[in-house]
Amino acid sequence: MNSVLNSKKTIFLLVFPGLAIMVFAILAPILLSLYYSLTSWSGFGAKEFIGLANYKEIITKDATFWRSLWNALLLLGVTVFIQNVLAFILASVLIQLTDRLSLILRTIYFVPAILTVVVITKLWVNIMNPNFGLLNKLLKSAGLEDLAYAWLSDPKTALGAVIFITVWHGFGWALLFYYSGLTTVPKELEEAAVVDGAGPVTRYLKVVIPYMMPVIQAVIIIDITACLKQMEIVMLTTAGGPGNTTQFVAYHLYEQAFKFSRYGYGNAISILFVIIALTITLLARKYLSGDNGNE
Amino acid sequence: MKNSKLLVFLLIMFAIMTPLFGSGQSDAEDGKVVLKMGDNLPDRTNTWGLVAEEINAAFIEAHPNVEFEVESYQDQPYQEKIKIYATAGQLPDIMKYWSFSTLLHPLVESNMVAPLDPADFEGLGWMPGALESNMVDGKLYGIPVSGDLWVMYYNKAILDECGVGVPTTMAELKAASAKISEMGYIPMVTDGKDGWPLSITFDNIFWRVTGDYSIMLDALAGKRSFTDPEFKKAAQAYQDFFKNDGNFGNDLVTTDYGAARNLFGQQQAAMYLMGSWELGLATDSNFPEEFRSNVRAAKFPVMESGKGVADDLVAWFGGNYIIKADSEHKDLAYEYLKTYAELYPKLVWEKQAGFPAQAVAASDSDTPVAKDLLGIGADATATSGTTGLDLKTPAFKEVHMKLCKDLAAGVISVDEFCESLQEAAEIANK
Repeated sequence: MNSVLNSKKTIFLLVFPGLAIMVFAILAPILLSLYYSLTSWSGFGAKEFIGLANYKEIITKDATFWRSLWNALLLLGVTVFIQNVLAFILASVLIQLTDRLSLILRTIYFVPAILTVVVITKLWVNIMNPNFGLLNKLLKSAGLEDLAYAWLSDPKTALGAVIFITVWHGFGWALLFYYSGLTTVPKELEEAAVVDGAGPVTRYLKVVIPYMMPVIQAVIIIDITACLKQMEIVMLTTAGGPGNTTQFVAYHLYEQAFKFSRYGYGNAISILFVIIALTITLLARKYLSGDNGNE
Repeated sequence: MKNSKLLVFLLIMFAIMTPLFGSGQSDAEDGKVVLKMGDNLPDRTNTWGLVAEEINAAFIEAHPNVEFEVESYQDQPYQEKIKIYATAGQLPDIMKYWSFSTLLHPLVESNMVAPLDPADFEGLGWMPGALESNMVDGKLYGIPVSGDLWVMYYNKAILDECGVGVPTTMAELKAASAKISEMGYIPMVTDGKDGWPLSITFDNIFWRVTGDYSIMLDALAGKRSFTDPEFKKAAQAYQDFFKNDGNFGNDLVTTDYGAARNLFGQQQAAMYLMGSWELGLATDSNFPEEFRSNVRAAKFPVMESGKGVADDLVAWFGGNYIIKADSEHKDLAYEYLKTYAELYPKLVWEKQAGFPAQAVAASDSDTPVAKDLLGIGADATATSGTTGLDLKTPAFKEVHMKLCKDLAAGVISVDEFCESLQEAAEIANK
């Protein structure tokens, strides 16, 4: 067995399929995208090489790009600091319940995550509709007419509404990860902490959370990529409006490439997008793993 | 030996990877020719979509070896899909498209559309200017399928219930909208999410304000500025119409085409701002009979203080059918276009499903809305041709639509609107 695994040919044969897929499906498109980002091109017809002009325009003139990046970071902040915290607390409660009750509740909480984005988005668009939506009807029946907004059309509420739908959709996944992680925390560790006089809060802060750090790290990394590439919910609810209130990077990229027919410019946004996503992901990994670079 | 094993392995990997990254045209395994087709008619059981299916069936009857593979979406997602297919070199053999400089022209300039011989389409009763609207540099590239008029549909029963007449002026419309709202209906709907109906309406209001559409064309050509007073006056009237006068719900900019159409068809809204291609509302079995028998069409209201008249009609030839230049089945696709041009006007008018770009024989059995539209067309003393958003570049079109959405939503001022539109026109004219 060892001799087989030591064979360079075997190693090559085992590694090649994954490597080939990575090269063709990830590396080659990124390199192509890098090339297109240096051109002025509508997506078809003649290309004109313009060097770094697209990047210069994005960085110095494209206020929508910065607005969309800010919105994505805001969504990330809400996801990490609100959705994750709530999911963690709820998972901690669910794990204390009887198996049957926990299973029922987990199933209910996970339902939004298994529905397609189109379905959940249309559901919320209808609930939030100012004319016939359930939300405003409930508010009005409760005498709270002043709070009945055109949730997705009003500049004051549109971004919050989009973020809410996104967080609602992703909540089940975070809960699932945390619940699964919590089931792996050794009872002995918690019992030892109790014997040492630790209360519930101390037990969580000193034992459970440190034990769960790899899970928390994984969830946050997934959140970073999911938030930065958020597009479908924006497209199906507000299309980035009103104004640029709910514009996100991935949708801005899509609009530039396929609506404005600025394929080169869209690719430049995508390259910056990759760089920003990688930077945030690496920073998050470094911070969350406690790696201060002295290893 | 080692090398041959490696070669076999690489070939196997290539065979596995090819379907992942490959594409391409494939005909049916039973030897039938598959014609790929794209259009913006997702409902194949009603109105225009049903007509398209009947034409396909007639073509298959004459060409039993042909199968159609049809891909349909609502028009904005469809237009974006075609752009993506064009980028990937995967256009369908036959496409419903639009003759505008923002849509057809980029494909023609990239040699992606097959030229057509006008002689093959002679004698089919085209309206004056219909075929010419599909010509680029003197060559015909598409057959026009609809004559498009910008009108205001209304539900007669709802207006009667609310005790209001058909609004003919903006003041009447504002007063009617207030009463309709009181009665619990949405006064008027349109597709505000996609933006183009708002852009077309901006042109319509501009014309009502100034009485001279050539000013708009001059501004687009760079001979005038969108910051001139008449544009600011029109922009203010536009913002009043969409935002300040209570004519539309406050979810205008998130209401898409399907939602607006359904709100009107399901009798939640009293009026519907849209083009004459919605003639089929009166025969669409998705909607209740009460609605279908009460739907009517009226001219866009005039401005009391404006110089424009009700018979200045925003109208153009937009939709067309085109053929992919390098289609493997170009001859068959060409035959299909000829079949379509021959059958379409008769079938679509029989079903009262659309307003063709070819002459039709009006009859007493036409639906009331069809008669209204024929009347509006016949009354027109001047027509706009293709509207402003589609006369420049794709980027200008997007900016135009976005600015119109933002002005309607009240997130930009009239001055900001005019200045940004001027800036976009200057970029497009470079």
